[in-house]
Amino acid sequence: MNQEFQKNWDTQLKKGLLPFFVLKTLEQRECYGYELIQALKDAHGLETTESTMYPLLVRMMKEGLLVHKWVEQQSGIPRKYYRLTDEGKSSLLAMRTTLSQLLSDTITNETH
Amino acid sequence: MKRIEFSSPEAQRIYDNYIRRSARILAILSDEDKEDCLMEINSHIYEFVEAHPHESEITRLLNALERLGEPEQTLREVIATKKIDQAVKTFNLKHLIQALALNFRNGIAYVVLSVMTLLLIAFPSLIVLKIVYPDDTGYFRGNGESNFGYIAVGHEGQTEMLGFWFIPMMLGFCAVFYAIIILCLALLRRK
Repeated sequence: MNQEFQKNWDTQLKKGLLPFFVLKTLEQRECYGYELIQALKDAHGLETTESTMYPLLVRMMKEGLLVHKWVEQQSGIPRKYYRLTDEGKSSLLAMRTTLSQLLSDTITNETH
Repeated sequence: MKRIEFSSPEAQRIYDNYIRRSARILAILSDEDKEDCLMEINSHIYEFVEAHPHESEITRLLNALERLGEPEQTLREVIATKKIDQAVKTFNLKHLIQALALNFRNGIAYVVLSVMTLLLIAFPSLIVLKIVYPDDTGYFRGNGESNFGYIAVGHEGQTEMLGFWFIPMMLGFCAVFYAIIILCLALLRRK
């Protein structure tokens, strides 16, 4: 097995699926940026940097998939919490269907 | 925005410098967007530093800033996106030109819109030329051909058709082009 090729493929795959995992994580609970990055790492082993995550969050808000609210903290430094909109929920459902179809077709083809 | 206080002067200097650089890059945005972005950067630095209590303060800060990346790089896409929103909301020509310049590399649609913006600037210039050089500016017909704009030489034998109606016509073109550009931007933003 070409380990370098495999590693690149894994990275590209995870990068492509990042919006899906962001929506999936925010479906379960509202998160602020740092918390979201940690949740993706803990739950899915996705190592993503802030320089990737924040432009993606802005893009997803622009698309109407997410909204945010500022929540004051005792420290005096508020957190920006992101949550899914109805459009975000619909997109997540559509992504799940596509992924499920893709994986199901792949596995069916391999068993024949 | 509340500034994060560090006990180490070195850490404080690095933090202040990063926030200052970010603020300088974000200055192109509206005050509201600028504040929102700065608050998010500040919040992230604070959360990261607080989440790693076993490392030294300066190490925690440097790790947080390394992950955030250079503000010039990280904020580029954020600014480009927010600038389009600002241009569409305010109908301000300055914001429109800045939004198109920031998004010029993002696709052919923005190239077309940039050309339309250049034309938008050309129409008022023609109004000025019509006032200064009334005989050489306008819509010329004759000798089997038509010319439009400022024609310094070569329109002998042709008649200028519009006279000073040329000025309201250019103003009308400006309004129509501006409406089309804003409409296209709004559609691209929604896409």
